[in-house]
Amino acid sequence: MKTVRSNWLSRLGIVVIAALLVAAISVVQYQRLRSIMDKERDIRSHMVLRALSNRIIGVLDLAEATMDENLLYLKRSLDNPDSVFKAMEYLIDDNPHILGGCIAFIPYYYPSKGRLFEPYAVKEGGAILTRQIGDAEHDYTSNRFFIRALETGKADWSDPYVYGADSTWNLTTYSYPITDDRGRIIAVCGLDIDLSWMGEMLNATQHFASSFGLILTEDGTLVAGPPPSRASAGCVEKAMALLREGQGDSSDGELAVRSIRMDRDPNWQIVQVYKTDEVFADMHRIRRQQLFLILLALAILFFMIQRYARNERKLREATAEQARIGAELSVAGKIQQEMLPKAFPDHLYGTVEPAREVGGDLFDFYRRDGKLFFCIGDVSGKGVPAAMLMSVIHSLFRMVSMREGSPARILRALNDQICTGNDSNMFVTFFTGCLDMYSGRLRYANAGHDKPFLLTDTATLLPAKSNMPLGAFPGTEFEEQVCDLAPGDGLFLYTDGLTEAKNPGHENFGRKRVQDALEACLAAPGMTPESSIRALSQAARRFAGVEPQSDDLTMLLIRFIPGDLVRDRITLDCDTKDVSRLSGFVKTYLDKLEMDRKTAGGLRLALEETVVNVMNYAYPAGEAGSVTVYADSNRKEVRFTVVDNGIPFDPTTVLSADTTLDVQNRPIGGLGILLTRKLMDAVSYAREQDRNVLTLTKSII
Amino acid sequence: MTTSVQEIDGKLVAKLCGELDTAAAPETEQALQPLLESGGKDIIIDCTELDYIASSGLRILLGIRKKATELGSRVVLKNVGDAVRDVLDLTGFISIFEFE
Repeated sequence: MKTVRSNWLSRLGIVVIAALLVAAISVVQYQRLRSIMDKERDIRSHMVLRALSNRIIGVLDLAEATMDENLLYLKRSLDNPDSVFKAMEYLIDDNPHILGGCIAFIPYYYPSKGRLFEPYAVKEGGAILTRQIGDAEHDYTSNRFFIRALETGKADWSDPYVYGADSTWNLTTYSYPITDDRGRIIAVCGLDIDLSWMGEMLNATQHFASSFGLILTEDGTLVAGPPPSRASAGCVEKAMALLREGQGDSSDGELAVRSIRMDRDPNWQIVQVYKTDEVFADMHRIRRQQLFLILLALAILFFMIQRYARNERKLREATAEQARIGAELSVAGKIQQEMLPKAFPDHLYGTVEPAREVGGDLFDFYRRDGKLFFCIGDVSGKGVPAAMLMSVIHSLFRMVSMREGSPARILRALNDQICTGNDSNMFVTFFTGCLDMYSGRLRYANAGHDKPFLLTDTATLLPAKSNMPLGAFPGTEFEEQVCDLAPGDGLFLYTDGLTEAKNPGHENFGRKRVQDALEACLAAPGMTPESSIRALSQAARRFAGVEPQSDDLTMLLIRFIPGDLVRDRITLDCDTKDVSRLSGFVKTYLDKLEMDRKTAGGLRLALEETVVNVMNYAYPAGEAGSVTVYADSNRKEVRFTVVDNGIPFDPTTVLSADTTLDVQNRPIGGLGILLTRKLMDAVSYAREQDRNVLTLTKSII
Repeated sequence: MTTSVQEIDGKLVAKLCGELDTAAAPETEQALQPLLESGGKDIIIDCTELDYIASSGLRILLGIRKKATELGSRVVLKNVGDAVRDVLDLTGFISIFEFE
């Protein structure tokens, strides 16, 4: 849990670092963008201001040009004071920006006109009206424009001013001194130029909703400004204060001003004022959007990292799990291999080559009562389920065959066990047999397995009935068959992994090739079961070539090599008096085996006790019958088989006498079976064909 | 199988010769009958020449031993050979007899 939490935190840390990086980039970007935008806006402002300035200069220049152009005509009209009116009328008509014009003569210039004479022309209601306006009430000689022109002798532009009864006119006056032939100033011509368009023009060219223009005189008087709808008086005042402080371009947090001067007479200052907020409003909006997108991206990133980490953890766990399963499988495979017989006597050999880690094939063999019990099986399917069933069957075979000598009954018991709770419908083909190592009698039963090969001089199929495989139907009866082997004969058992080994052309190895390979082994001198099986395995592998092994391959080869046999038999009447004949028989038989007296005495005692037991219990009082004793040995082992036709009696189930009790409590019975058990290696009982068959074996090496 | 019983120095001495197998057991039991009527005398069973004994023979010995215990007399097995001793050993009889 702790690791999970710290992993979670470390992933969050990655996202936070990414967020910080993005934020840093965003800040740098913002600063740069802002400075670029500032620069851009400056260029734009100055372009606008220059255009405005040019426009104003154009109007002023035009007024000056109008003056120059009409000067000659005006001067000529001076000869007659009354014709001056006409000249002024022409003059103002020449220029649409000129609202009106006057020409103020120096006092008494026209004696006929008295001291003050000032012809005036004005545009009113689409017509031009003229009148003389100089009189005592309107004494222009004290007027600034008149005095200045006389003093400087130069043309001059007045500061703008408001004129008219309703203050609707915004004007500037161009004063121009008129000289006579001798260069004396005789009059001053004043042209009133309409400036009301400037405010409109200023604010029509603004590219921000809240920006506005201003025009100031050289001494800072406002010439034209925005209408109140565009900017409040306070805002204008603030902008002008900023201008005074900054001597031109400057800004505080709220407003920014940019200005140029006309650099001529009149040297007005044209100004553009912005609200900083608005300039960067778009940028701020973009920034907010960007921030939102970045946060979204980071959230997605975090989510993806979480997902990735989880998937990666799952993958790691799955890989570990797979490795663990692999290791367990390999252990399971080893355990399985170890369950199979590993030590082989000379006359027998078997192998399992699983196609995977674990296999569904099995074989087994063991010797009991001088008989070789063996089996071979192939569980349907492969892998773990098959392997598990195989292990179960292997154990069952051992358990069942330990107390049951008939192959058919072994199969029946196995089948009933496997059918119980076989919900997965698995089945097993199985062949089991029991070879008497003295007589060579082979009893066998088949449950759907491939017929083994009987090896004599040739290899032929053992005539084995197929029957149903194990696990198919409960209660199936299996037919038991018998075949007598001659010394040297053999049996070769295999699973279909051999006959169905495939070559790259998808051709089966087949029974014929198996037969040929077996006959080649039979023909070759000095072949043991082990070398024969190796040869077959190699033949199959050579045939398969590069094609991988697709099925488990199991082979078992058994040869009947009884060795130097010493065999005898005796039939006794069912009478303990006949035991003396048995004593003679045993002594003669054991003498042939040349064994020591002590062992011989033990064997004799065990056999006598067994036979006496049979006589006493298999034939109830007075019933006549016989007991036959078969004695077999290969000089390594002695086997006594005691056969009678009496009632079923299994002495191996009789309790042995307790040898620890005191004298008075010592039982009289149970001594015989006690001695038999102690003296022999194995004692086993079977009821076969209405006969009791007791087998006693002992190793004598 | 031959069996003889003699009284020597107030003790009953039985001598078993040959092989005491199941076939020989009835007559041997018959021959050893005096040992069951010992009247408190100690019993010595000479096994010098006993080569073989089966469980039926052991049963006879056990009968004698039980009776003797009742009568308060001793039972001693004398000169027991290896083959017989092994059987006595296997059956636990070695713990209920005295040996000489």
